[in-house]
Amino acid sequence: MPRTNMLSVILSEAAAARSAAAAESKDPYPHHKTQPRSLRSGHSCPLPLPLLLLLVLLLTLTLPTQAQDDARPIALKGGKLLTITHGTIDNGVIVLQAGKIVAVGPSASVNIPANAQIVDATGMTIYPGLIDSETQLGLTEISFETMTNDLLERSDEIMPHMHTADAFHAESVLIPVARLNGITNAVVAPDSEDTLPGQDSFIQLAGASATEMLLIRDNAMPLNFTGDQRRNKGGFEKQKFPATRMGLASQLRQTFIDAQEYKAKWAAYDRKKADAAQNQTSKDKKPEPSAPKRDLKLEALLPYLDGKKTVVLAAETASDLQTAVSLANEFHLKFVLNHISHSQPVLDYVASLKVPVIVGPIYEQPKDDERYDAVYSLPAQLYKRGVKIVFASYSAHNVRNLPDAAGFATAFGLPYDEALKAITLNAAEIWGVADQLGSLDVGKTANIVMANGDPLDVKTDVKQVYIQGKAIPMVSRQTQLRDQYSK
Amino acid sequence: MPLQSSKQTHKLALLCLGLATLATLLATPPAFAQSSPHHDVVINNATVMTATHGTIKNGSIYIKDGKIAAVGETVNAPAGVTVIDAGGKYLTPGIIDCHSHIALDDDVNEATSPITPQMIMKDAFDYQDKAIYRALAGGVTTSLLLHGSANMIGGQAVVIKHKFGDSRDALLFPNAPRSIKFASGENPKRVYGGRDQLPSTRMGNFEVQRAALVEAQDYMHEWDGYDAKVKRGDKDVDPPKRDLKLDALDDVLRGKLMVQIHCYRSDEMLTEMAMAKEFGYNLRAFHHAVEAYKVADQLAANNVGIATWADWWGFKNEAWDAIPWNAVIAMRKGVRVAIKSDSEDYNRRLNQEAAKTIRYGGATEEEALRMITLNAAWIIGIDDRVGSIDVGKDADLVIWDGYPLSSVGVPEKVFIDGEIYFDRTQPGLGTTHYKEGE
Repeated sequence: MPRTNMLSVILSEAAAARSAAAAESKDPYPHHKTQPRSLRSGHSCPLPLPLLLLLVLLLTLTLPTQAQDDARPIALKGGKLLTITHGTIDNGVIVLQAGKIVAVGPSASVNIPANAQIVDATGMTIYPGLIDSETQLGLTEISFETMTNDLLERSDEIMPHMHTADAFHAESVLIPVARLNGITNAVVAPDSEDTLPGQDSFIQLAGASATEMLLIRDNAMPLNFTGDQRRNKGGFEKQKFPATRMGLASQLRQTFIDAQEYKAKWAAYDRKKADAAQNQTSKDKKPEPSAPKRDLKLEALLPYLDGKKTVVLAAETASDLQTAVSLANEFHLKFVLNHISHSQPVLDYVASLKVPVIVGPIYEQPKDDERYDAVYSLPAQLYKRGVKIVFASYSAHNVRNLPDAAGFATAFGLPYDEALKAITLNAAEIWGVADQLGSLDVGKTANIVMANGDPLDVKTDVKQVYIQGKAIPMVSRQTQLRDQYSK
Repeated sequence: MPLQSSKQTHKLALLCLGLATLATLLATPPAFAQSSPHHDVVINNATVMTATHGTIKNGSIYIKDGKIAAVGETVNAPAGVTVIDAGGKYLTPGIIDCHSHIALDDDVNEATSPITPQMIMKDAFDYQDKAIYRALAGGVTTSLLLHGSANMIGGQAVVIKHKFGDSRDALLFPNAPRSIKFASGENPKRVYGGRDQLPSTRMGNFEVQRAALVEAQDYMHEWDGYDAKVKRGDKDVDPPKRDLKLDALDDVLRGKLMVQIHCYRSDEMLTEMAMAKEFGYNLRAFHHAVEAYKVADQLAANNVGIATWADWWGFKNEAWDAIPWNAVIAMRKGVRVAIKSDSEDYNRRLNQEAAKTIRYGGATEEEALRMITLNAAWIIGIDDRVGSIDVGKDADLVIWDGYPLSSVGVPEKVFIDGEIYFDRTQPGLGTTHYKEGE
């Protein structure tokens, strides 16, 4: 994966400390005064708050790669570590250096480097940054304001050549709001009213620019088959193809056949070209073949036809699910499932597919004849059948609430550890970044969250987020408004 | 009367049979329509979160005739009453959702005129809507079903109890105070502006509202004049023509209808409060009120409550300044704050939404609980009857699996007027008064 240029220095520690101290001095709620000691500044802030916030903002925008003592390690000491891969360590130490985790273990056994900045994490819970497996971050600001949205091309149902990376807005106000609750990585997907709306991106929620934040462009491609893709709204007079599921399926099938033929055409061309090059000097010299015309739409599908990239296959009902799966199998696509909110009758079949499921949203309404908890309990039902599950917020503004859904699923039978894995390691595995993300292990990227309690509880307040080993200023447009008006 | 043909006789016989059947039905109504006799119940060994006077560990509650007759560490109850052991689980008042649009099918907005106070939501209320059940399973016992926000002056609300499976009338909250929905800001602009009609701006919004109220003042004076003449014994005077729209606004001006205003922006809250003073009506609460934190002092001074979300924001321009600390900042400045759903999704887990106020701003446990019980009851005007665990109030209660102010708290049993309407441990839907297929 393209991981060059991933130096994401957001702000110097000093600036972060100043802003944290400033926010704290204006905060009337003692609740917020449990900032880790190391972030507190001994003297009061010399600048008025709005000016300081402006300065912080300017720094963020203009000094993306401000020099920082990258080599100086940070040691979070005394916290409860939820490692994901090797259990819980009460009173542990985790050391971050040069963007990576360099040591994890019980306080007694980890040697903290002499030059480390030590953060007292006593009473805190420390866990890996959370991963949201479907968001619209960077594609929208204000849902009802059309010009702030880059969510979907409605002109055609088949738009695999749309790249969310091309629209991703790194400066979105929504991103700091989400990361303040410990979401450090996310999949960015287009809206779902096209069968093939375009390609996803895998992002990190901090960085000096889109380039730094887009860890993987085109990491996956949604294929939506929920019925919402039909062009059947507004009565018969306004309908157009494809207005039915038959239409959707035939259009998809034709598209993949076209892509197969396109691939064959290029393969033939490559063969002829190689042939021509080989026989350049011989008597039976062949003429240089002319290249087929490039087609961006079909070209975009090739990595998926080749099984090199993952298709995110979305369906809700059992019947849609089976239609979508047979389509995918017809073209040998590598896929994970998405939603399956109303597929309870065929969960054994789902398990037999041996693919992971992005389950939910679990807040999807049950059908009228279903029990109130038919969807709430779906994660537990899948887990029991050995299916690897992950959660997604399916949102932009509410990405911060991702862990609440995981917590809620535990009330309906999902074991706690599995719920936490579903927003950390499982997600990292599905998106091919488990060597970098998803657990507190030496060598992984230092995306770390420090909070005052259980990560899956709505009441838990995140105190500090580290992304690539850097303390993120715990400031968003919302905290600024809070501070401005709660004097 | 000539002899009837055999066919007619047959018809008549059938009709008589029908009447006889109807009479039988009326005498012994079928189970679903029956309001069962109250069973007196004692719940023991509960962690009672009262919402008004703290939490009683290992507490008991005595329910008599559907009301809370006693609550405390021990209660005196006659021998022979049903005893439920709560096994140490949490017991709270039933959740009250003071902003809901469920059970109204698509009939939420009569968006054909910006002034429709004569709409009565009860006329559209579908008591069999499963959304009532799903909210019940989330611990909701009472909801205020409001008109939508397409109109500056919408319709009159209906207050329901979530007695799912009972008859329509059993679901209507008895003698609830009347409320009417007003709206401001983007929605009326969008609906009427989109048709090139008035209003399409906030100027237009407030003009339309003011003009309707001025017209209602004239109507009210006309009727007052008529009444005075009748009282004087004037027999020749003709009554003014009755107009249902103006009748409803007359009730607004006379304080017989509490006004619930959909309002996002702080400047509009100030304008609405000024207009309420100008016309002398009872502005009870701002709904949504995402910028309440900017004008909390003024709201508190005018005794206007807010019904807001815990953390919704950014879906439209007027929600851009919404922050999750809104509820607690406003509360600390003396505003009565309720967390509401405005959604058939969030009304299934309002307990989690309330818990967010503990995280965002540091509400206490009881303050958070009040936002979905007592404060919501106050906004509806029924806080003397529901919303807390106090003697004399309706026995609308929830026993929880897990701590209610958390991600994992889920209702186990829900009582309304002392009867269980939902029990998670029961098979099927978990309903006790509704059976699938009946």
